[in-house]
Amino acid sequence: MTQTSTLRRIISAPEFGPLVLLILEIAVFAAINPAFLSPLNISNTLTFTVELGLIALAMTLLMTAGEFDLSVGSVFGFAPVAMWTLYNAGVTSLFVGFVVALLIAAAIGLFNGLFVTRLRIPSFLVTLGMLLVVRGVALFVTDGFPQRTWSASGQWLADLLVGDFHVRPFRVYASLFWFIAAAIILGYVLTQSKFGNWIQATGGNAVAARARGVNVNAVKVWLFVLSAVMSAFAGIISSIRTSAANPNSGSGYELEVIAMVVIGGTALTGGRGTIIGTVLGILILRVMRNGIVLVGVPGLAYNIFIGAIILGMMALHSWLERRHQAGT
Amino acid sequence: MSEDLIRMEHIDKFYGRVQALDDVNFNVTRQEIVGLLGDNGAGKSTLIKVLSGAVRATSGDIIVHGKRVDIRSTTDAIALGIETIYQDSALVTQLSIARNLFLGREPLKGPRFLNRMDAKLMEQVTGELLRKVGIGKSIPASTPISSLSGGERQAVAIARAMHFDSDLIILDEPTNNLGVAETQGVLRFVRNARDSGHSCILIAHNIHHVFQVVDRIAVMRHGRIVADDIDPKHTTVAEVEAVITGEFADSTH
Repeated sequence: MTQTSTLRRIISAPEFGPLVLLILEIAVFAAINPAFLSPLNISNTLTFTVELGLIALAMTLLMTAGEFDLSVGSVFGFAPVAMWTLYNAGVTSLFVGFVVALLIAAAIGLFNGLFVTRLRIPSFLVTLGMLLVVRGVALFVTDGFPQRTWSASGQWLADLLVGDFHVRPFRVYASLFWFIAAAIILGYVLTQSKFGNWIQATGGNAVAARARGVNVNAVKVWLFVLSAVMSAFAGIISSIRTSAANPNSGSGYELEVIAMVVIGGTALTGGRGTIIGTVLGILILRVMRNGIVLVGVPGLAYNIFIGAIILGMMALHSWLERRHQAGT
Repeated sequence: MSEDLIRMEHIDKFYGRVQALDDVNFNVTRQEIVGLLGDNGAGKSTLIKVLSGAVRATSGDIIVHGKRVDIRSTTDAIALGIETIYQDSALVTQLSIARNLFLGREPLKGPRFLNRMDAKLMEQVTGELLRKVGIGKSIPASTPISSLSGGERQAVAIARAMHFDSDLIILDEPTNNLGVAETQGVLRFVRNARDSGHSCILIAHNIHHVFQVVDRIAVMRHGRIVADDIDPKHTTVAEVEAVITGEFADSTH
């Protein structure tokens, strides 16, 4: 009896669909091409996955509060440009440049948040504007050229952020641990903390939340700041690893990140969010991108599969939601 | 004569040119249950909205605990101990009963910086409260509001006001859409509230429900208070109905 009810609870959890899809995906790719499960391929897949994943984790909280941020890709590209420009010009040490880049990102998030909450402009429009402004600044500052980053080796900050080492045959970057830590902390915040309850209430019914004394605007502003800072952090990690701070990098990431979050089961309309689901969503999209190439599907066909997954998962989530409502 | 908890003096409210409240004087004393009656559009809701901070009066004074106050928002009203339960009770449907009950006032446990909610305490208190308002039997505190009936939602909102010790609890049509057992639960709660030192304003279309619990009945018509000291023990339902519809030119008793 308890066994069946536990099973039912697992099946009706919003994370169940994404989990099945991920397992299925891995099974199919592994069956077609055994190289898919090779240590080298797993290491390579994880490397970039966690960088994009950091943004998706922050976006999950923001979307649960009923807003989203289209400027994350631009901040991802701009933050490393700012850091390396400062460092290469000899103005600051690498660490100070890093801190300054994160502070600039925080200011961008603050600006987004205040525009959305004070002027009551939809976050779609505010962050779309910010996307263009930030990308434009990155291009203008650099004249469109990548910044020099090869002096990063030997810097303790670089080792701390993306130092790599080998665990048996796997090559692991330190960024993996940053991702795991962020997932645990943000998962805790969303489900266990008082602030998490406020996030869900803000996205679920802002009027009711406000009537109970929840500072809805502050919740949203903080989450916009978090989203921008995490994007900057991810961009800097990526730039050190690839030894390139390209002002164009990160374009289009905003949509991929939002896709990851909604595939995981977080509601686009707010009120309901899941970090575990987002982690699954991140893996689903990245494994798909990697696996498709390995099994011989032309890389250009990638988007067909991504689009199909998004549509399929949305249909599944909405079906589960309706069944849940009817079941009372 | 006991002390006034709330006193509203010369309240006017205009919506553009339409006058919704016309020189309204209204008071509630400590541990008193006042039934506020009136036909649709008589001004009951507007009066309550002024008191609960949802709208501001055009002119007039509100005195709480003997002090003149300015109620600008629902948060202000809650801080003054005035809790309002509306028909469409303000709950977050995605959250559980326990999380709604404590929303904005979640108890914490462990070190402060962890900001951790005491989920166990929340569920335990919620369970006890739900039993008190009469729906605790089958519904666990972790149930999301979205899977509750209208009556059950009402009961959750009432349980919330009860727990957070508001001085004045305003119930706007609390028995609408409720089953018989739930209605009795709500009315029992209103009586308990008085016994434990709260005051209530009860707005209901069902005069029989009002008669069962209130100490005093006030009647509004066309934005004015036309009677404010009807004693339900010495008055019949028919007489009160006559005052509501205005069949008697004046309301002498």
